[in-house]
This record gives sequence, C-alpha cells and structure tokens, in this order.
Amino acid sequence: MKKLLLLITLIISTSTIFAYDFIHPMGGRAAAMGGSSVASQGLWALQNNPAGMANLEKMSLGLYYENRWLLPETAYKCGAFALPTKLGTLGLSFNQFGSSKYNENKIGLAYAKDFGRYLQIGLQLDYLLLKIGNDYGSFSAVTFELGLQSQVTDKLAIGTYIFNPVNFSFEQTLNHEKIPIVLRFGLAYKFTKDFVGQCEIEKDTEREGVSLRGGVEYEAFKSFYIRAGVQTNPGILSFGVGYAIRFAQINVAAQLHNELGASVQVGMIFNLGK
Amino acid sequence: MRRLVIIILSLFCFSFAKAQIAIDTLSTEALDQLLIEQIERLAEDSDDDADFEDLLDNYIFFSENPVNLNSDEVMQLVELRLLSVFQYEEIQKYRRYYGDFMFLEELEMVEGFDEQTLAIINPVVCIGKDEDKDKLTFNKLARYGKHQIVGRYEQILEQQQGYAPIDDSALLVKPNSRYLGSPQKYQLKYTYNYRNKVRAGFVLEKDAGEMFFTDKVSDTIRALLGDNYQRGFDFAGFHLYAKDLGIVKAAAVGDYQLAYGQGLTLWSGMSFGKAGAGSSVMKQGRGITPKGSASEYSYMRGAAVTLGGGPFSGTVFYSNRKIDANVSVAESLDEAELVSSLQETGYHRTIGEIQDRHAIRQQVVGGHLAYAIAHFEVGYTLHHTWLSVPLQLKPSHYNQFYFQGQQLTDQGLDFKYVKGKFAIFGEAAMSHNPDTTALRQAQGPSFAGLVGMTVKPAGYLNFTLLYRNYGKAYQNLLGNAFGEGSRNQGQRGVYLGVEAAPAPYWNLLAYVDQFQYTWLTSQVNAPSNGHDYYLRVSHSFSRRANAYLQIRSKTKMKNSTDAMVFSHYPILYTKNSVRFNINYQIGRDFQCSNKAEYAHYHNEDGTNEHGYFLCQDIAYKPESKPFSLSFRYALFDAKDYNARIYAYESDVLYSFSVPALYGKGMRIYLLGKWKPFSNLTLYARIGRTIYSDRDEIGSGLTLIEGNHKTDLKVEMIWKL
Repeated sequence: MKKLLLLITLIISTSTIFAYDFIHPMGGRAAAMGGSSVASQGLWALQNNPAGMANLEKMSLGLYYENRWLLPETAYKCGAFALPTKLGTLGLSFNQFGSSKYNENKIGLAYAKDFGRYLQIGLQLDYLLLKIGNDYGSFSAVTFELGLQSQVTDKLAIGTYIFNPVNFSFEQTLNHEKIPIVLRFGLAYKFTKDFVGQCEIEKDTEREGVSLRGGVEYEAFKSFYIRAGVQTNPGILSFGVGYAIRFAQINVAAQLHNELGASVQVGMIFNLGK
Repeated sequence: MRRLVIIILSLFCFSFAKAQIAIDTLSTEALDQLLIEQIERLAEDSDDDADFEDLLDNYIFFSENPVNLNSDEVMQLVELRLLSVFQYEEIQKYRRYYGDFMFLEELEMVEGFDEQTLAIINPVVCIGKDEDKDKLTFNKLARYGKHQIVGRYEQILEQQQGYAPIDDSALLVKPNSRYLGSPQKYQLKYTYNYRNKVRAGFVLEKDAGEMFFTDKVSDTIRALLGDNYQRGFDFAGFHLYAKDLGIVKAAAVGDYQLAYGQGLTLWSGMSFGKAGAGSSVMKQGRGITPKGSASEYSYMRGAAVTLGGGPFSGTVFYSNRKIDANVSVAESLDEAELVSSLQETGYHRTIGEIQDRHAIRQQVVGGHLAYAIAHFEVGYTLHHTWLSVPLQLKPSHYNQFYFQGQQLTDQGLDFKYVKGKFAIFGEAAMSHNPDTTALRQAQGPSFAGLVGMTVKPAGYLNFTLLYRNYGKAYQNLLGNAFGEGSRNQGQRGVYLGVEAAPAPYWNLLAYVDQFQYTWLTSQVNAPSNGHDYYLRVSHSFSRRANAYLQIRSKTKMKNSTDAMVFSHYPILYTKNSVRFNINYQIGRDFQCSNKAEYAHYHNEDGTNEHGYFLCQDIAYKPESKPFSLSFRYALFDAKDYNARIYAYESDVLYSFSVPALYGKGMRIYLLGKWKPFSNLTLYARIGRTIYSDRDEIGSGLTLIEGNHKTDLKVEMIWKL
C-alpha cells in the first residue's frame, strides 16, 4: 500500500513527463542489461528492434512478464511469435502494460529481412489501444516502427530503431494526445567469444532528456549467462542470469530503482521448429 | 640503386595496396568528414551566422583540381590543414632522397602518414611532372582550361513576416518592418581554371529579401532609397588570378584574399581559429588567393602581385571597395558626416539595410616582404586603411579602444622555423591610429604578439604550446589570428594542445585554452576571463566503421541578467557538450551515421538548460548509377537558445547548412544528386523542421506562423 501511494505521488508529481510506454524494452536479457537491446538479435528483437529478428533460424514463441516495482498494477505482459520464411521473418507480437483500470496495449505485425551480412531491416505495423476504466472509454491508433541493424565487423553490430516516425496521435482523445516518437540507437561489441557489451541512447519526445543504457553479458559456463547493466533517466541498476537448452531459453532479471525499489522480469523463449 | 629499390618497392606496394589498404582514390568521404567537423566547430565558436562559403570553395576546388605531389603546391594542403607541417617536411625529405613520386601508394612509405591521413589527402593529390617550366600560351589556355558554371536557387517555403503584404503608409511608419524583395535566393558563379595556374571567374548573388529584377516598390519608397535604389543581383564580383609566371609568383585582379604569417597583421577571409587543433594551430599564410565565393564581407577588391626570386619575395596590393555602414547625415554645414557602425552581414533587404548599402569607401594599400630559406621563414607586413567617412562609435566603456576615425596603419613581423621534430612560430604587430584630433579613443598599448611551438617527440605524439598577448588598443580591420572570439584585441592567453595515437586505430586530440580579456567587452562590464577544454577520442573499428566521442567545456563571463541586482556585474557561465558520432558503411552502396549530442548551459544566476540531439543519417550512393540520395531523421529537445545544438547537414555542393537547433521537435531532410550527363550535375534538397512546442517560429521579420519551416535548394553544375 505504501508503495502504491508512493507510486501515485510520483506519477502525479511528474505528470508533465508522464508518457505512454508502448515500447518498453522486453525480454529477460534486455532487462538484465539495463534495457539495452537495439543492436541485439533474437526473438525479442520483435519488440525492441524488429531488424534483429531477420536472422532468426527457427520458429519461436516467447512469453515475458515484468512485475514492475513488484506491483501488479504496473506489470508488463508480452507475447511474441516469429516465423522465419524464405522471404524474411514474419512476426506477431502483443504487449500490455497496466491493470484493468488503466492499460496500454500494442499489437504488432512485423516483417524483417536481411540483405547479406551487413544489413538487416525490420518493419512493424502497430495497433495501439488505450483503455481507461470507470467509463472513460478506450482509444485506438495505428502507427508503425522501423529498425535497422548492421553487422559492421565480426565484433561490432550497430542498430537504429524508430517508433512512430511520423508522429501519429490518439485522435479521439480530448487533446489529441500525442503518441511519442522514440528514436534509439546503439551498438553491441563482442569483446571475446563469451563476453559482450552493449550500449545505446534513446530519445522519447514525450519525456524530458534522453535515456542512456548499457550492459554486459558473460557466458560463465556453457549456455549459462550472467548479465548486468545500468540505465539513466530513470536511474536503474540491473542484473540477471540466463540459461539456454536446445529447445528453450529462460532469462531472469532484477532491476533496482533507488526510490521505487525492485522489479522482477522473467522471459522464456521456445524454439518450435527444427 | 636507391632509385631502383624504391621503384621495385613501390610496385610491390602498388599491387598489394589495391587488395589490402585499397584506398579509394575517388572517395572524398574522409575529407568530407574532416570538413564537416571543422565547419561544425567553427559554427559553434562564432556566435552569429558565419559564412563558410569561402572555406568550402577552397576545399572543393582542391578535390576537383588535385595538387601535384611533386611540386611545391603541396604546401597548399598544409594551408588548408589537410597535412601537418611535419608531414609536408617528410614529403620534401622523401623527394630529396628518392626523387619524385611515381605512384600515390608511395605515400604509405613516408614517415608520419597513417591510413587516416592518406584517406583524407588521396582525393586532393595527384602525380605529375613539375610543369612549372611549361610556357604559357593563349592556345593552351583556350584548349586545356576548364570552365564551370554553378547556378543555385534557394528559398524558405513558408511565408515569413518580412514578406507579408503591407500597404505603403504602414511601411513608411515602420520602414524596417518588411523586406522589399522576394524570398528567393539566387546565385550564379562562373569559374575558369587552367592547371591551377590561371584562374578567373565571376559571381552574382541575390540574397533572400533583396530586390530582384521583377520586384517593384512604390515611388515614395523609391524616393526614400535615393541612389541606393537598385534591382537585380545585389552582389557581383570577378577575379583573375595567375601564379608562377617567371618572377611573378602570384598576381590577382578583382576580388582576392590575402593571408600572411600568423594572421595577426593581415589575414582577410576565413581563418580556423581554434577549430583545427594541435599542430595545425600554426598558420600557413596562403599569400594571394583568388576569391570566387559570394561572401560579402572581409575580402579585398583591387589588385595584388607577388614577385620573387631566390629566398626573397615581395608583395604589393591595393584594394578599393565600398562597404556598408550606418552614416549619420550632417545636419549643418560645419558638422561633418560620421559613421556610427560598419555593417558586416551583406544583407540589403529592408529600407534601413539598403540605405546603409555601400555607404562608405574603404581603401587599403600595403605589402609584404618575405625571406625564406630551408627551414626558416621571416616576413614583414605593412598596410594602411582609409575610410571615406570617419567612424565614430556610440560611446561606451567597452568600445573605447576599438578602431574609430578614418585611418589606420598596421605593421607586423612574423617568423617560422620548422625542422625535424620541432616547429616554432610567431608574429608581433603594432597599430597606429593617427586620429588624435578628436581624442575619440583612450590611449593604450597598441602592440600585439603571439608565439607558439610544436614538438613531436615521437611519430604518434605532438604537443603545441601557444602564448598570445593582444594589447587593449591594438586595432586591425584585416587581422584574424588565433584567439577566443574574432577580435584580436585586449586578450591574452595560453593554449596547450596534444595530439596522440595511443594505440593502433585510436586517436586522441585534446587542448586547454585559458584566456583573459584585459578590458571590458560587449555585455561584459569588467575585465573577464575564461577557459576552453576540449577532448576528442576517435576509433576506427575497421575501414567500414569509425566513431568518435567529443567532450567540450567552455567557461566565459557575461553580465548577470538578474533583475534583482542593481549593477550588472559579470558572472561565469559554462557550456558543456558531449557528442558521440558513428559512421559505418553497409555493403558498397549505403552509408549510415548516427549522432547523439548533449549540451548543458549553466551560469551563476542559477540558469540551467539542457539540450539533446539524436539523428540517423542514411546515404545511398550506388557506384554504378548516376545518382545518389541522402536522408536524415533527427529529434532535438533543447529548452532554450543557450543549450542549442549545431548539426552539420549534407547539402548541395558549394553550399553549407549548420542549423542551430533549439526548442523541441524534429528535423528531416532529403538530398538528391543526379548526373544525367558526364558534364552536368543537378542537386536538390528539401529540409523541414517541425516543432512540437510552438505555433510560431522565429521572431521579427523571420517570424513564421505555424509549427514547421521548410527549406528548398536546387543547384546545377555544368562543366566544360
């Protein structure tokens, strides 16, 4: 209860910077690495930078749950499915933030293609739905997101991602409330075979300032990863572990915020194809 | 024997270089990047809209007319800061030992040439035999000369307040509330070049808001403008230039620039200031150069010639041109005409600006003598300026040592010694203002001097130290030496810079500049001080990708604007910025670049402002196709002008765009280039800034009602 009060106070006191959170970084790996994800590949790229799923080899299904500040009212739930085809990878994603009183939903249909080793491009069409309880109603909008990744050298990958580049808004709301434009870019650097560092910067037009994120991952034993990361604006420290077996991966992370306390994230990926 | 070895070596090198280092001789990418960074820093350092057209012209000229590596022309690359003076020395040493270069690839064997330098200078050098001895004939001039015509149109598409309709009576009440001309800008430039030896050309320009052939004004306004009523191109200039004709080392008629020594006595036109750091702080006077750009301020118009023989050379020049000034008309017969300020913008758009157009005449006469032997050079410069009407500034404490009156004499002595791992240079100058009758100005030291030194203890490391002390009353209308700000007056300071390559593929550049103003300056009510810290670390991940991180912190003083204080004393303010930039190539045809910048401004009044900028650039330059496209998507968020961010944008050739972004919004542009025939190139560029925090942009005459501003440029280049 105390925490809820604190959160409400915080939201009210920072109401000017309160923004929609449709594109919160998803996946246990990203969460453990300070949220940095724009230059990484895999299924969760579907949420974080669709270009990153261009090289996916197997049909995959992912589930993700984030208990933000350990409050059920501020949880993220996300599901993703990706199907690699001859013409590129197709993806379908759903994510939700909030509770029955207030929730933000995004359904996305994604497509990613690689053009040789140097270039991967991804596109996602989004349907956004904002539901506010107590008969305030629900509002919807359509937008899209674009991503680009490049494996510049064997060690260096660079990624760029933009959400809502042409600045759509919720037309039905009273003030035509703006959907933020989010521009994010960063790099991943493979220092050694089993040690990866990545960092990125993000600008969300409906928030003050920019957010910097960085993280490291170390493969301590075969298929067992330990990770840590930091994020600014809001300032968060994170860490986590991951384990991969042939047909599944599980990644667990925890994030610590000085005032708001801890959040816990769990993500699972199932490789369905052969 | 030595000769044979070197040929074999270079052949060996040549065949492998293609595969390994494979410097793309046609790619000017590294050069462009260098230029972008320099212009960006110049824009940050100059507080107002500076004109870099002149500078740009020079770079483009050399990328299209490469200099012969086997001649002294290479010095011009040092003057443009593409090579360090040490690298120039190494080239000369190499030629002395092994003879002329036969392949560009030989440069890899010259000491001090890393991959980066090679990538930068490759597009601007070529191998040729020394053609100096060739006799110049009209036949050759006519047959081998290259002609080029550049036409450009540009416009802001939204209507600005200055172009809104207004009736005459309202305009007469507020005469400067409208531009008299149309919002289009036109430029036409013709140049001729014969092997960089003979150059000629003309330029015509009409700025946005200036009256063109079709613009008309009513008779009353026409009467108000008097003799200054003029339609058509507002600026016209021509130049004729030749060099290395026997004892005539260089000669120019028409518009030209002069640059000698360290710029303390005579340096018309652009100068790098602190923008090029480290070893390039030492200036290389370029002597007489033609001026083909349309910059309307700071150039010479007349004639100049340099004669030389052996170690001696001498220059004489004369310039006579009308300049813009605010003249106060004499009210009675015994009251003389006076000028209260000189206008430097070159704009003649409003009634007031047109009235100031070409109001007075400036004449300059002078010369330069130089003596140069192997490693040592010494020069003496003298020039005298007359204004047709005396300048009398509005009296204020800060400007009492500024130039006023009608005449000014400047003279200076410069020297330079470069050998091995050591370079020392300096210049001392003094000014004399004979205007003592009115005792308009306070007396003070009218001397100025600077001395500097660069040492290179190892190939990958060099340090530069420079001390300057410019007297309070040192006056010069044609100087442009190293310093903080553009005025070489009432300032002293110490600069220490270092350039290093601490590890392969890593470069570091850092400097500290501490300075004091010995007298008040504009909006600073006491002698003040400041410092400038700079650090840049760059890294090449591979030939396809490089990145840099730049951190800058500059502290200066400015009057407090706190309304609660009675007297406005100076307080400290600091501007910090951090920039990260990464460029990478995707496949053969795509180039991408990302930039993130953070700016922070704070002062002792308690003002704190933050600015952010993020962008994604994509350029598609297919090698086999006659066109290319560049695109940028950028977001910016800077609360106020103090935390503004300068971001260089790709532009049509011979033009530049470095908008200062502040407020909140996005900026996009698309630039296209198309080469339908081998001698014709077309460019078009459209850019738009969309603000999310305001419904009107700008103020005064440039006010736009709406939240977006769109700029369009179209250019045609025709080569013959």
